Amino acid sequence: MASYQVPRKFPTTVVGSYPKLGPAEEAIRRRKKGEISEEEFHRIARDAIKMVVEDYLWAGVDIISDGEQTREDMVVYFAERLEGYSPGDWVRVFDNVYFRKPVVTGRISWRQPMIIDDWEYARSISGGRPVKVILTGPYTMLEWSFDLHYGDRREMIFDLAKAIRREIEEAVARGAEYVQVDEPALSTRPFREEAELLKEALEIVFNGIPAKRIVHICFGRLERILPYILDYPVDQFDLEMKNSNFRLLPYLKEYGFDKELGFGVVDVHSFQVESVEEIKAAIDMLMKADIIGPEKVYIDPDCGLKRLPREIARQKLRNMVEAARLAREEW
Amino acid sequence: MRVRAQVLGGYPRPRHVRRALRAAERGEADWTSVSRALEAASAAVIGVQVASGLDVVVDGLLDWHDIFRPFASMWRNVTPTALLRYFDNNFFYRIPLFTAEPEPTEPVLAPRARTYAPLAEPARLKAIVPGPVTFALMSEVRGGLKREELAEAIARLLAEEARLAVEAGAGFLQIDEPILGDPEVGEDEARLAADLASEIASKSGAPESMVAVYFYPPDRRVYEALASARVDYVMVDMVDASGRGLDVVAEAGPARRGVAAGLIDARSIYRDRYERVRDAAARLAKALSDGMDLILTTSTWLDLIPYSYSVKKTRLLGLYAERIAEDLGVEFTGGWGVG
Repeated sequence: MASYQVPRKFPTTVVGSYPKLGPAEEAIRRRKKGEISEEEFHRIARDAIKMVVEDYLWAGVDIISDGEQTREDMVVYFAERLEGYSPGDWVRVFDNVYFRKPVVTGRISWRQPMIIDDWEYARSISGGRPVKVILTGPYTMLEWSFDLHYGDRREMIFDLAKAIRREIEEAVARGAEYVQVDEPALSTRPFREEAELLKEALEIVFNGIPAKRIVHICFGRLERILPYILDYPVDQFDLEMKNSNFRLLPYLKEYGFDKELGFGVVDVHSFQVESVEEIKAAIDMLMKADIIGPEKVYIDPDCGLKRLPREIARQKLRNMVEAARLAREEW
Repeated sequence: MRVRAQVLGGYPRPRHVRRALRAAERGEADWTSVSRALEAASAAVIGVQVASGLDVVVDGLLDWHDIFRPFASMWRNVTPTALLRYFDNNFFYRIPLFTAEPEPTEPVLAPRARTYAPLAEPARLKAIVPGPVTFALMSEVRGGLKREELAEAIARLLAEEARLAVEAGAGFLQIDEPILGDPEVGEDEARLAADLASEIASKSGAPESMVAVYFYPPDRRVYEALASARVDYVMVDMVDASGRGLDVVAEAGPARRGVAAGLIDARSIYRDRYERVRDAAARLAKALSDGMDLILTTSTWLDLIPYSYSVKKTRLLGLYAERIAEDLGVEFTGGWGVG
């Protein structure tokens, strides 16, 4: 495998998802209809993963993902592959778009590798660039599933954490260097007891894992719980910043944030492509706030890019990479 | 004291409605077939509620993509734009973008009241509007418009909407202000919400009115501000946040005509335990004087769970309300003289 030197300052990365491309949509549709096996599903989706990786390389992103092309939904994908879940019935996500909200009907446990195949494929064509292993975190799985088995949130989240850890161990054994769990549900319930519950779960997920451990949290009022999450057992917090106008920065300063920061500089809800100057200005703002040094800052979008048109996603990433390059010269 | 029951808001779309909508969106079917599917499905959810003993019913709002959309689509100077998460749900609404003060075009609520109020008999049809403070705070505003001014402008339009809906047959008005459950909402927003709800309710001429706060209970100051508004009931979510809403209402007391208690969990598919609901209702009943109502309702709209469970929860709501009335030895309004 080719080697790639990740920049020491302001490496660029992605949160994970990318607009669903044709072959992936086709694979998902055919799998749903029962026309193809799990193996065929991932094999067909490889064409989409390849296109995603090519876009990342074109943009110049340093640490990439597989674009989560096989994941129709961030919770359903894992629920379909873990023991203890049943498909559930249709619930709306937005407009007239529905998904089968999974139902926990038995004890949750890991069954077999879930994301390894896609991740390994992306890695094989990344030109040596690291590929993040990205999983939906236990708190989000808990919150966005129906439970008919546990009746006890703690018990359920800890079983989820064990299952997720098992998948991470599988990836790390195959050479994963960056492992990210996504917890968008946390900031929607920004209360101390919830933050502490996730901390306990993350200790199960991450303790002793020999890779860069990242938690991604986005949107919502994170400042309310910041004091209770800073000692999470992670190396990096990957946070949405642009959409909330960098509101969180003074709080990071106030609470003495000293971990690595995945700094969201691209709004994934807006079709307007941020200019290089705009993104560079955001990086400058972070540096001037004097919270952490440039070697601890990873530049990335606020969240997954899946809701954007592909061309806009590509251009946003390209501008982001260029802004990071300029920032490297200055800081 | 009387015990009553009503579902808070919209229902999930049954499969045939989802399919009809999808086919029309793709240009594979005309919108007449969507209208037919919606009318049949709305009649079905009204029937479920009436048969469950609910004396105020909703038409299901099955065509609404989110609570703001019909208004954001119909009014001038506002457009639905990008998706944003709706509170703590895995559900997204489209952010209304206001570029100037909104202006009305065609009414949103009156045509549906005209269609569905006759189907609701012997129950009364409820008209639902988004609260102006929630609407304004969850929108994007351009063109120099201040949030408070926007909320006031929205309230004026909603008051007219509600008036026309009442004229067309709606017998109960609900004003949804879920943002008032946000712990960061202050007394200023609460007072504004109370003033604007008063304005909407009084101008509407609705026989009964209610402000609803869900997804998280309001703190006591916010609740008290709302309870002092010229509305008959303040509905509080008593499921989320470990049922803290129950303490707030039991300690602060009812609004003008009683209490609306969101005690049936609308976001889980568990069968709610009767004992929990009954004990909470009994505690609230102590705060009510003669002639007041205890309205048992869902903790939020039923559209966040699958359709089959929304029907089960509706049935449970009616069943529990009737049993609670029996246990408390008071009247249940939804008996329709049967049994």
